[in-house]
Amino acid sequence: MVDVKKVTKLLGEVVSPARVSDKDFDLIPYSRDLSPARQKLPTHVVIPESCEEIQGILKIANEQDVPVYVRGGGTSHWDAFLAQEPGIMLDMGKMNKIVDINETDLVVTVQPNCTWAKLDRELRKQGLTYLCSEAGGPAMTVGGSVMKAGSGPHSTAKFGAHGNTDVVTLEMVLPNGDVVETGSAAWPSAGKFERQCLGPDLAGMFIGAEGILGICTELTMRIRPATDIQERLVAIMPTLDSVIEFGHFINRHVGDEYLQGIYLWVDPSAPDVFMLMMDIFGYEEEIVNHRREKIIAKVKELGGEFGDRAPADDYYGHILTGLTDLFVAGVWHFFGSGTLRIDDIKFMYDIWKNELIGKRGYTKAGFGGQVLPRRWLAFMVTNYREPEEWDELVKMCDGIDEIILDGPVVPYGVGGRDGLRNIVASRDTGYYRLLKTLKRTLDPKNILQRGIFIPEEELR
Amino acid sequence: MRIEEYKDMIYACGRCNYCKGIDFDDRCPEIFTQYWESSTARGRMAIARGILEGNLDYSEDLAERIFGCFMCARCKEECKKAAQIDVIAITKAMRADFVDLGIKIPEGGDKLAETALSSGNIFADTPAIHNQWTEGLEFTKGSGTLFYPGCLASHRFKEKTNILVRVLQAAGYTLDFLDDEQTCCGTPLWVTGKVANAKQWALDFLEKLQARGVKEIITPCPSCFRAFDEEYPELLGLETFPISVRHTSEVLEEIVEKKKLKFTVPINKKVTYHDPCEIGRYRDIYNPARNVFKALPGIEFVEMARNKEDAFCCGGGGAVKTMYEDHSNNVAVERIQDFIKTGAELMTSICPACELNLTHGTYAAKIEVRVLDVAELIAVAAGIVDEEILDADYFPDD
Repeated sequence: MVDVKKVTKLLGEVVSPARVSDKDFDLIPYSRDLSPARQKLPTHVVIPESCEEIQGILKIANEQDVPVYVRGGGTSHWDAFLAQEPGIMLDMGKMNKIVDINETDLVVTVQPNCTWAKLDRELRKQGLTYLCSEAGGPAMTVGGSVMKAGSGPHSTAKFGAHGNTDVVTLEMVLPNGDVVETGSAAWPSAGKFERQCLGPDLAGMFIGAEGILGICTELTMRIRPATDIQERLVAIMPTLDSVIEFGHFINRHVGDEYLQGIYLWVDPSAPDVFMLMMDIFGYEEEIVNHRREKIIAKVKELGGEFGDRAPADDYYGHILTGLTDLFVAGVWHFFGSGTLRIDDIKFMYDIWKNELIGKRGYTKAGFGGQVLPRRWLAFMVTNYREPEEWDELVKMCDGIDEIILDGPVVPYGVGGRDGLRNIVASRDTGYYRLLKTLKRTLDPKNILQRGIFIPEEELR
Repeated sequence: MRIEEYKDMIYACGRCNYCKGIDFDDRCPEIFTQYWESSTARGRMAIARGILEGNLDYSEDLAERIFGCFMCARCKEECKKAAQIDVIAITKAMRADFVDLGIKIPEGGDKLAETALSSGNIFADTPAIHNQWTEGLEFTKGSGTLFYPGCLASHRFKEKTNILVRVLQAAGYTLDFLDDEQTCCGTPLWVTGKVANAKQWALDFLEKLQARGVKEIITPCPSCFRAFDEEYPELLGLETFPISVRHTSEVLEEIVEKKKLKFTVPINKKVTYHDPCEIGRYRDIYNPARNVFKALPGIEFVEMARNKEDAFCCGGGGAVKTMYEDHSNNVAVERIQDFIKTGAELMTSICPACELNLTHGTYAAKIEVRVLDVAELIAVAAGIVDEEILDADYFPDD
């Protein structure tokens, strides 16, 4: 049981009292994310402004045995950053600065709540870019993306999900308050220029851990020169087999770096029409033209046809500013999602078409995915009406998740009790046992993100 | 509760956070001043939903989050992409719920509405004081075209308002004026949630206007413009207001387009323009002022980084000035930073509330610069007033 007033007083001693609240109306906005996860109220919300303040908050949390949760843009799709137990919610909103743009080393250092849109705006002023992949619009934060190993429709066939190759160094506050820097930054007299330097890649331990092992307070990421050459294609492919073969072509025959985005969309109203949206990547017009011609030839060879690029312009063009008509048909839910081999996309598609549309008669969810290097990140997505369709929808989606994850699909996003954590725990893999060992070692009181990824009872 | 009418919209919030923006507080002046997610549109929808579901109650503590909203509609603009939630309507309904439920609202808001109700204007001016700005002007009773300045232009901007009328009259508009019969348009009532008297207020006002033979209202105040054109019809159950209402932005543009005045005096200044929320985002009126500038000699026009749909509030909206003056002033100072970055010599707008708050912003930012109405530039260019009013150290008598 949290002694709310006592904790409020203590928190007010390490951050300004003006940035601590235990008022019900200030807490309730932090009780939901973008998913249908049930409302979960924290006991406090705190807005830290520095690494030192976070250290102070964690000290209080350990002493008072109050869990701490971390909130970035608040747009998680799977209950990964909601207070599973009564506890302190850190609103990271004010830790959003661009610390340094290093044009010569081609790295940028940002605080975690810097949004992709803000970063891109500033980088482009200097002819640079990051190539953000996520379609989360203006609210999507760099720290949030990396801590969940995020990805999206603009995922680069060359670079993959956030964290694959682009994270150079991280600054993390561990649950006990220690500050750790990874990569080259781990060596105090060096700089922030390389991911794999001193011993094991500890950055990889934090990426995708959904914040359970530490709170990210700074990230250094690779950046690259911007390209103003834009070639965008929309193709309609005749079969899923042709999509798969095209995916292999991109990966094997012409190299990973051809496309910034290759995004498959199948609308439930036309489940046998496979639309591919593609952004061709390259710095020289000659090279881009060459790649475009090769892609056009391959699509035609596979029986595909090219169409109006307007849907791709609308979609890709709004990745950082916000996709349009997002909730016109109701609020969003992503489900049945995960990463899988290129050939295995047929497994997911069959479940979508036969289980969801065929057996369950649910015709409101689309099927989509993007090719990353050597794999897909695929998903189903629907709009639904709250509150009336909520319970039924969640029950149905949970059922689809179970079927999907029994197949060749790795969960994408684990989250809390309304996410996939119970499915992950039930597998009891060596990986999972190691993760629990790490968690127990770094966070013996299970302070940080308690109940996220690993059910609380598994750590007792 | 009045928010029940908006239940569908409240539940339509998909929590995407577009409303908050890319840089924490670069869009919403409320989160700029209050930090909390509860200050954003997403937060307000969560609060409204909590109230609808019985998990949260209206309370005196909550008032700052609801009455601290500047009602600038920046979030509503962003939500056009996502769920098309009318955040302003919901905010108004929440404010009205406070009053209906007898929960104390901020003292300044209470006083604002009570003063308007008891004295007829928001400054408790006597008619003689309220009409001082008309000195030297003549009006034509029964002309059918009513010049309605509103409280702020009457009380605070005597010289500006006088100049505006001289411009309009020089351009050939035959104006009527309510004189001692002028009262507030009623905006303070609905903006503070005190809507119980609003319907009668609107009915009485309409009767007064019709009895006088008013066919058209010209007003420099975006709030008054919207009061007549939007709020009155809604309150009175009319499809449209039976009298034509125009904001001066459109009239000044008409003067330029139809060449009703000759512009012979060069302004010779670098000028920027602040888009008032209530004609900009509320009504898509962005270009008239910019078109006027194109026609005036010697103006080098430069945009602020946040302009048109993206314009940051001046801090004068939502009656926040009367309830949380520090918040209002802080927002004004932030907006003045946008002005400073342009390197412009003159800040202009076309709303008395914006011009007042931005002027306060210049004081707080410790810069000497004039915040002028677009009409004042026209007046200088047309030789109606001396160009000294453009000087940074010019200080009007009012």
